[in-house]
Amino acid sequence: MKKHVITTLFIVVFAYAGIFILTNSYAGEPTAKPTPYQRIISLSPAITEALYLLGVEDRIIGVTTYCQKPPDAAKKEKIGTILEINTEKVISLKPDLVIGTGLTNSKDTKKLKNLGINVVTFDISKDFDWLCHIFIELGKLVGKEEQARTMIAESKKRIVKTQKKVEGLSRKKVFVQLGSKPLFAVTRDYFINDLIEFAGGVNIFKDAQSGLVSREEVVRRNPDIVIITTMGITGEKEQKTWQQYRTINAVKNKNIYLVDSDRMCSPTPVSFVELLEDIVKILHPEAFEG
Amino acid sequence: MKKTILNWRYSILLSVGFLLAASLYSLSSGSSDITLKDVIPTLLRGSGTPEFSILFDIRIPRILLGFAVGGSLSLAGVILQGMFRNPLVEPYTLGISGGAALGVALCIILGLHRIFPDLAMPLFGFIGAFAVALPISLINIRKGTVKTEGLLLTGVMISYISSSIVTLILAISRTEDLQGIIFWIMGSLEEPSWLLISIVLFISLTCLVLSYIFSLDLNALALGEEEAVHLGVNVERAKKMLFLIASVLTGVSVSIAGIIGFVGLVVPHFVRMLAGYDHRVLLVMSFLTGAGFLIFCDTLARTIISPVELPVGVITGILGGSLFVYALSRRFLK
Repeated sequence: MKKHVITTLFIVVFAYAGIFILTNSYAGEPTAKPTPYQRIISLSPAITEALYLLGVEDRIIGVTTYCQKPPDAAKKEKIGTILEINTEKVISLKPDLVIGTGLTNSKDTKKLKNLGINVVTFDISKDFDWLCHIFIELGKLVGKEEQARTMIAESKKRIVKTQKKVEGLSRKKVFVQLGSKPLFAVTRDYFINDLIEFAGGVNIFKDAQSGLVSREEVVRRNPDIVIITTMGITGEKEQKTWQQYRTINAVKNKNIYLVDSDRMCSPTPVSFVELLEDIVKILHPEAFEG
Repeated sequence: MKKTILNWRYSILLSVGFLLAASLYSLSSGSSDITLKDVIPTLLRGSGTPEFSILFDIRIPRILLGFAVGGSLSLAGVILQGMFRNPLVEPYTLGISGGAALGVALCIILGLHRIFPDLAMPLFGFIGAFAVALPISLINIRKGTVKTEGLLLTGVMISYISSSIVTLILAISRTEDLQGIIFWIMGSLEEPSWLLISIVLFISLTCLVLSYIFSLDLNALALGEEEAVHLGVNVERAKKMLFLIASVLTGVSVSIAGIIGFVGLVVPHFVRMLAGYDHRVLLVMSFLTGAGFLIFCDTLARTIISPVELPVGVITGILGGSLFVYALSRRFLK
């Protein structure tokens, strides 16, 4: 027994020493690159769209399978999904900048950083200000900061104009539904909360800790308007489901709307404003009549 | 002893061959075309080219981790099946991996993975695995005897409890934490840290050697505990040690690579079909075959619908399960 243990230890120590020498013989060093970057890989539809807005689409060499907007983006080389990227593909494209989000697998980003590739990650947009912040940062990265600031100023002007329209109108209670099974609502952690408030509405689940809510609670809080993000067929099914709850004001007044989930979930400052104008039309059709 | 299909020397050779073939297949397949012929020149030419870094920093670490994790899981499976004389036991049915998943979910929800980014998740997975293994063994090891049935039942129950708590955590967690937990549960051999990979390799090989010391005790246990005692085996000590080894193997693998099912269940059965029931051969051969099997599955997961990468557990489940059913049916037809 003792002899066994001693030989075991010997074998193990030797093997380990070997492994250690092997693994430390090589380490990638990050290389400093002059900005602006010329070979960019985007790991999120929103970032791809923003890069197109900034007019640097010719520098994008890789996108995710989800990047379908603008249509031209769908033709770019695919390097994986939003959550799982194919690191091999990324390296073989020789990018000088990879832009990810909080959704990108951190193991993948760490690996790319170890190999000396510049990886920048942005957290998910929680509100409009953060959206603008990300847009400006992107502008800085590609050397188009001025343009980014101008676009945001434009967007803010349009927002103020829209808000003036709805000033003084009654603030309706809005329920925005992101998922159906389980029922998932928008809380204050989503930029959609800003959308509702800018449009002169009240998000009935602003105070909720988590988006998991019960139908009962929706009925109790009685929204005037229900907005469902289309999830393929489920959106229409949900629309029918709500019809059973006749006590809800939104059902009584036929105020249940479907909005395309792509627009709701991957925003840029510009698409935010377009979406806002649509939501204002839903909340306050009277503001647009006459 | 039953008559085996293969002599032990051939068995070991076969599994080494399989492991090598799987590794070479893995080394030469992926989204960028590097054929087998190019591998050696590329590595010799040294760093600097993207091909080199794809081979050296992406494929080789994955092969090494697949070797360690696949080997560990099937070794743990052989040990537990031998101990309990029950063909359905594996690290997952004993709730050890459920505990690890719970540990990781707690770590993410408490935000600890942001404080020590590299080590927190594996560490918590490991603690979770042990937090489950210890009560299971403490509840069932009384007055120096281990009750096998009790151990199994407790394990299954604890595994249900932890998976329910993980689901509870998923239900109340924020969006950005959700995906961290789900990634980890899906299992993957992607690991950027060489240090962690070498730790896992080291531990898995150490456990292989340690369990080999107990291979004769396992053979005796296969006859039943009473008989083993009569043969002069210190049954309680052997069982405690073996359970500890299996828990360490599972805890380490699960904490690094997440939950990869089926390897610990399928591989040992296959190896037994080929090489018989002598644990001196079984332990080593299961380790090698499990390693090869996981490397092979991981390569499929990387390449089937490139550029999208599938979770490796999907492939181990489908491939392992169907091969297994096929082999069993052939066996019964004979």
